Amino acid sequence: MLKIEGLTVEVPGFVLRDVNLEIAKGEFFAIMGPTGSGKSLLVEAITGLLPSNMLDFEGSIWRNGKEITHLPPNRRNIGILYQDVALFPHMTVEQNISYGLRYCKGNGANAQKRFQFFVKRFDLGHILHRYPARISGGERQRVALARVLVLDPDVVLLDEPISGLDPLFQGDIRRLLRQLHSELGITFVMVSHDFEEVMYLAQKGAVIHQGQVVQQAQIDEIFNRPASTFVARFVGAKNVFKVRFENGLAYIGSTSVRIADACLVPDFDHIVIRPEKIVPVLDMPDIRTGLENMFWGKVLEMSYCNFSVHLKIQKDETIFRAVWPEIYVRKMGLHVGKKVGFAFNKADVSTFREAK
Amino acid sequence: MKVGTRMARRGSNTLFFAGLLGLSLPVLFLIFFPLGRLVTAPTFEDLVHAIREADVQAALLRSLLTALGAALVSLVFGTPLAYLLSRRDFPGKKLVEGLIDLPIMIPHPVIGIAILGLATRDTVFGRILEWMGIQVMGTYAGIVAVLTFVGLPFFLNTAKAAFESVPERLEHVSMGLGAGSLSTFFRVTLPLSWRGIVLGMVMCTARAISEFGAVIVVAYHPMLAPVLIYERFTAYGLKYSQPVAVWLIVISVILFVAMRFLSRPVRQW
Repeated sequence: MLKIEGLTVEVPGFVLRDVNLEIAKGEFFAIMGPTGSGKSLLVEAITGLLPSNMLDFEGSIWRNGKEITHLPPNRRNIGILYQDVALFPHMTVEQNISYGLRYCKGNGANAQKRFQFFVKRFDLGHILHRYPARISGGERQRVALARVLVLDPDVVLLDEPISGLDPLFQGDIRRLLRQLHSELGITFVMVSHDFEEVMYLAQKGAVIHQGQVVQQAQIDEIFNRPASTFVARFVGAKNVFKVRFENGLAYIGSTSVRIADACLVPDFDHIVIRPEKIVPVLDMPDIRTGLENMFWGKVLEMSYCNFSVHLKIQKDETIFRAVWPEIYVRKMGLHVGKKVGFAFNKADVSTFREAK
Repeated sequence: MKVGTRMARRGSNTLFFAGLLGLSLPVLFLIFFPLGRLVTAPTFEDLVHAIREADVQAALLRSLLTALGAALVSLVFGTPLAYLLSRRDFPGKKLVEGLIDLPIMIPHPVIGIAILGLATRDTVFGRILEWMGIQVMGTYAGIVAVLTFVGLPFFLNTAKAAFESVPERLEHVSMGLGAGSLSTFFRVTLPLSWRGIVLGMVMCTARAISEFGAVIVVAYHPMLAPVLIYERFTAYGLKYSQPVAVWLIVISVILFVAMRFLSRPVRQW
């Protein structure tokens, strides 16, 4: 559906280097990366919005087997929804939604049908004659989405579609996107740094760092099996340790960690454990069952956040980070300096070899 | 905070603003007093008598039309340049921007001389103008040319700011929705920036209608209002030139109020 081959784009002060992505029809794909990693430049390259005078452009972009690298943005049939929605402020909701219809090939009756369908689907009938400044943030987002979808694009790019919204509307739009994806089979490519959003919506994704794709995989794999220290830290897997592997055990200093065979990567030199996978060892035998790595440590730091407690636990010279429900912490009477038992499953340890 | 401290602070604030006002008075005096004196000096009869004169009517009309002509030329040829400067970076952009502001800085008779110099038969441009049957010396074409020269920087800078105030993101969205560059300009950029463009025309007209130095070099005749005022001042004195000057001020004010009214921000959104 959408294929990017060897894309290298150089703009003053930044290079997007050798990007290769393949996004299947009907897929919900996430492009993740910190601010300044090159996500927006990649989006601009895909949509054809890069000013041709200020860049060094190599590689190719394909849509449905047709090369679109040199096509102007208006002939790519790729819709884009920006974080700030960018509705035309001088046009009513109706004029905004129907803006692109006059450029659509095919008969007008179909366009009208699609217009009616999305107005009804997004419940916009009662605000058609209002201007964008007179509608709510959630409505604006729906209007912007309808404006793109009414044109029946092959791919819809979502540039941080939810993070700018009032938290009140975030859940609604997230659900709407998910429903649209499952109902209409639209190919979405979403740029985001919100993990919750990515986990909820996307099936596959890529992480970009300093203009390069550093991991491209299923979303679960990126989150649970990061391929580098950067990806691990970026996706919130805070326990990243340099290790040596001896006799079937990984050693972080003197602490030995068991790892499931399925998680072993050839010649790995780092292990990763997500903080959510580390559990407190309570006085409950069923909780302990199956946890092959169990340690005692001392609580170094505790911070409360959304009914969870983020802990730093020191075991010898190693500091583990864990996120535990507040209720467990209260029950255990934890405080800084207290000794605590913690454990994790060997299948929850992932490994990677850091590129030189 | 103690009441005494608060009162002391309030007293110091009052003193500060009183100082600002005191220092502003000479500036306000300099602007309003001569103009106020000028406007109130002629009697009502003097004004009526002046406006009934055919020469005065013709000169005022000429000033108005040539200034509007300069604004129109600026609109047609300045708008693309203003848009280009607001949206694109290119080598030498700073130089172009500097050149645009040059007419503001150089003495205006020099502008007249420069235009005349370009239009002589010795230059290629002059020969092209001659081939086209266009004369610069003592013609409306010449007057509009110098007025455009002096007014263009005001139009360009205002129009450029108006274009810059339209988020480029909206143009990108428009293109993503299938519109080409031209369509995007007329459907998105222009509707969101036209008030600034009209304001640019007002600025350009304002500058052009008051021009004297460049005009007198290129065309003493057909006579514009500032030239007529100058002629009457040198030939007959202050009293005889004042009524014409008042009418020029009145026309300018009416014109600018009307254009400002047209370009007022009536936001439906």
